Amino acid sequence: MVKLYGFSSSTCTRLVALVCKEKNIPYELIQVNLAKGEHKRPAFTANQPFGQVPYIDDEGFILYESRAIARYLIKKHPNEGTPLIPSDPKAEALFEQAASIEAFNFTAFVAPIVAEKVFNPRRGLQPNEERVKELLASLQPKLDAYDLILSKQKYLAGDFVTLADLAHLPYGTAFYGAGFAEMFESRPHLARWWKDISNRPAWLAVKDGA
Amino acid sequence: MVLKIHGHANAPLVRLVAEVCREKEVPYELVNVEVYKGEHKTPAFKEFQPFGQVPYIDDDGFILYESRAICRYIAKKYASQGTPDLVPREPKAEAIFEQAVSIETSNFYPFALGITAEKIVKKHRGLELNEARLSDLVSNLKAKLDVYEVILGKQAYLAGGSITLADLFHLPYGTIVFEELGYDMLEDRPNVARWWKDITARPSWLAVKANA
Repeated sequence: MVKLYGFSSSTCTRLVALVCKEKNIPYELIQVNLAKGEHKRPAFTANQPFGQVPYIDDEGFILYESRAIARYLIKKHPNEGTPLIPSDPKAEALFEQAASIEAFNFTAFVAPIVAEKVFNPRRGLQPNEERVKELLASLQPKLDAYDLILSKQKYLAGDFVTLADLAHLPYGTAFYGAGFAEMFESRPHLARWWKDISNRPAWLAVKDGA
Repeated sequence: MVLKIHGHANAPLVRLVAEVCREKEVPYELVNVEVYKGEHKTPAFKEFQPFGQVPYIDDDGFILYESRAICRYIAKKYASQGTPDLVPREPKAEAIFEQAVSIETSNFYPFALGITAEKIVKKHRGLELNEARLSDLVSNLKAKLDVYEVILGKQAYLAGGSITLADLFHLPYGTIVFEELGYDMLEDRPNVARWWKDITARPSWLAVKANA
């Protein structure tokens, strides 16, 4: 059984859990105690040298970086559950384009906004509103591009859902719930896509805890 | 039809695509986009690249953007020529490769890009540098490179014993930070320095630096 080292509410841990649900892969969540600094201790950094969650132990094979874990699990189980990475060369290239869009044109802005507005208050820190404003200003035209793309096709890589769409869910959901829903809802095609992916049963199963 | 790379010769990610084309012995034509005149923000350009960014490629009518996606596409399409295994295929090797690619995405690029934005892009646009942000970015990058030092102490390249796209992805912004801006982050990190010296000496990269 895949051992998933992380914590229940962690965005990146939930991405891996989501993929496991989509692919019917059983996993065991092993809680890492961040409050006690477990992730910075040698026993942990021996497996994940950056001291970050999650990582997996798949029958002794250790892997970290949630997008890499997701890809590995998807490719290991090509015939189970939802196909999430195409194999046709052009379809695969368009998937890679969409995966890159998620990392550099969405999460690059949304994750720091979520860190400021959601994570900082939890730690008793003040959000840097100036920074949030800058990030939002950069994000707006990106979301316009999403709306344009999604006016022509159902999902980011084409007409079928892929890992690229799913990768938006953990940070996107936190962003949506932090008072920024309007940024999705005001763009009809983006809103349509968001409603679709955020209501997938696999996401609903892990949304509130991996 | 020869592969067309639409972009601007000095754009870092255009240079990345050119480098990988050279690694794979794929001829290409660089089609200039007048970024200083805002051509990349026009509706005509956004038909091809909706985010208004360079590069995109036109491979006999197949349009693709996002430089790392383009590099993967070229590496896979031309797997049997030029530098081998830039994207490994054996499942565990591929997984470790994806881990290394994700390391560059999350643990290198945001900081290198941010430093470039503060020191170069803002200057071009007449905006004030944010010293506190720059200082944070630099110390974060150094902390990440301490981990690279550990990884590269055990293996020659980020994904194992051979070079892959994961290493090459560091070339454009690494060159800006370590060479053009002169941040000395390598002297205290001999394994990183060794790896950096190796990947920057590749003929394909030297050729692109001379003339994309």
